[in-house]
Amino acid sequence: MPIFDQGYQHWSGKLSGHTWRWLTITRHGIRAGSKNRILRTALIAAWLPAIALVSVLCLWGLVERRSAMVASFLQFLTFIFPAISTDPHRYRLDVWRLAYSYFLRTELFCSMLLVLLVGPSLISQDLRFNALPLYFSRPLRRIDYFFGKLGIIVAFLGMVMIVPAIVAYILGLLFSLDITIIPDTIGILISSVAYGLIISVSAGLLVLAMSALSRNSRYVALAWVGIWFVSGIVSTVLLNVDSQQRRYAYYHQITMRPPEYNPDMTRQERTQQMQQWRRQREKVTTAYRLEELEFSKNDWRPLVSYVANLSRLGQQLLHTNDTWVDLSQLQSDPLQRDLMLATYMGPQFPWYWSALVLIGLGGLSICILNLSIKSLDRLK
Amino acid sequence: MLDNSDGNSAVLFQLEGVTKTYGAVTALNDLSLSVPFGPIGLLGPNGSGKTTMIRTLLGLIPVDAGSGQILGMDFRHQQLDIRRAVGFAPEDECLFPRVEGVGFVAYAGELVGMTYKDAMARAHEVLDYVGLGEARYRMVETYSTGMKQRLKLASAIVHDPKLLILDEPTNGMDPAGREEILQLARDLAHNKGMSLLFSSHLLPDVEAVCDHIVVLGGGKLLTQGDLQQLKQVHNRCFEVRLKLDGNGFSQRLSALGCTVESHDDLLLVQIPEGKSPQMLWQTALEEKQQIRYLRPQRSTLEEVFLKAVEQT
Repeated sequence: MPIFDQGYQHWSGKLSGHTWRWLTITRHGIRAGSKNRILRTALIAAWLPAIALVSVLCLWGLVERRSAMVASFLQFLTFIFPAISTDPHRYRLDVWRLAYSYFLRTELFCSMLLVLLVGPSLISQDLRFNALPLYFSRPLRRIDYFFGKLGIIVAFLGMVMIVPAIVAYILGLLFSLDITIIPDTIGILISSVAYGLIISVSAGLLVLAMSALSRNSRYVALAWVGIWFVSGIVSTVLLNVDSQQRRYAYYHQITMRPPEYNPDMTRQERTQQMQQWRRQREKVTTAYRLEELEFSKNDWRPLVSYVANLSRLGQQLLHTNDTWVDLSQLQSDPLQRDLMLATYMGPQFPWYWSALVLIGLGGLSICILNLSIKSLDRLK
Repeated sequence: MLDNSDGNSAVLFQLEGVTKTYGAVTALNDLSLSVPFGPIGLLGPNGSGKTTMIRTLLGLIPVDAGSGQILGMDFRHQQLDIRRAVGFAPEDECLFPRVEGVGFVAYAGELVGMTYKDAMARAHEVLDYVGLGEARYRMVETYSTGMKQRLKLASAIVHDPKLLILDEPTNGMDPAGREEILQLARDLAHNKGMSLLFSSHLLPDVEAVCDHIVVLGGGKLLTQGDLQQLKQVHNRCFEVRLKLDGNGFSQRLSALGCTVESHDDLLLVQIPEGKSPQMLWQTALEEKQQIRYLRPQRSTLEEVFLKAVEQT
């Protein structure tokens, strides 16, 4: 029994309007999620790549200013890539693009993990505890409910993708002390934020749809792992089966044995022969890789992987391939240039294939949500 | 009819020719009614349309035909405003998962539009009021059925609604828990000026809380009115209790044309047309009996309900 029971008291406060009501659900979800120790740890771990991004951008700012703080790094850079150290401004865009690209690629993995920790219980627990009548008997529409739940995913993924991208950009600006950096790099920031939003919305819709299909969040988590890992594994297997067949055709040439030792040849002749052999082997290898690169322009197999589709969009948004083409110009040898492109450039299939796959998945998710989360307009 | 505290309208809610069908099932059939402010009991057999009527009032479902207002707001166009002004505790067992009691009620308040700070402060108040103060930091999944009902009540009144709708609030509760809920509902309706729509199968519960009842059957209005008026006095029927055994008394009254029924130590006596209750005293005198209790018989709510249902 309370020591002092004041009974029922009337309340005369002001109630807010309906427009931002969905934010209440998002706030509640973030509060509930932040009590989860595993999730908190995962969030902190997911911020580590952001530290690397910030470090690279700040370092490059200092390199551009030829700061004494990075003198040893400049010496190292001069030794490795003299062209870059001569004119670091010229490569600013490439360095920033690559830094953001690697950061977002890492965060894509982290975001899948965060979705696994946050997403499965979002709707399944409401279904299990029959919370929908409590939601829908309050001034809340179904769309508010969906937005609220999606907002939780977007908020958590935004914390590890969008916020660090913006903070890193600002710090990069501050360390470069060059106003011209804004028109050069603002596109990268916009692309990064857009990519973060695409990942958040796509993964959010997908996990919400799966969460709406079961009252048991463990099953939903398993299904998410399936989408994340299994689709990637299937895609890799399909790619490798096909690639190995083509590789087999090159097998003879790639692994051609070194010329037999001839005791009649002079040492110089022998060296020339070996150099010729190595050069020919490199040519064949490069030709094989270039052919693989060419073939990947119409290869549908990566589309099976959910993460590969997201990755392909990121590649397109950040113009990573253009960066590699630009950087490959540093190689004077055309063969080395081709090899670099063949090694570093990612999947080449049209980006809109991935966009269509993701739009299709999003549409399917919306249909599932619409069918699974019904209003109270039904008989018991 | 009671006055609205806002002075906008004297009617708590009214429906005009409302029809709602689910496929071949007609849940509400050209339903028209007008209900005053105050504690209202909503009665009806299973499938009579009680829950559909409540959902219609809350603007949760579109109707096929008809119109209506609740608290002066059109339920077809001002659904969100209605749900903000009304507190609703659904019949089913439903919970926001993985929250403590106080978090549950505060979240319910936030969903209505309260700020987090206000909602949290108010949650503590209403949890104390419904008797869950000691359990406020327990996870709601661990609550008993009675505690969950009180929690639903607390989350329905957290924003101090003008109208509280309780759908079968005492379902599955033990007598003590049931009495607690009824006491809270009675207090809110009679002492705190909150209008109440109390839907229940349990007639004694409705009788204990409500002043006005609405009886639905087959989606239609069977009867409605002030409870005391519906339980009208029977002028020729009396409840009589005697000091001694009443066999002789009963036989003598029967001989005089009365109909006498015995219920334990209580006699129900219906006197003939044109006779006065004085004949009861006269007969007792002649039988040397003492009348210890004499009262004109009133209809019970059960009789009112059954009579209304039989009409259909």
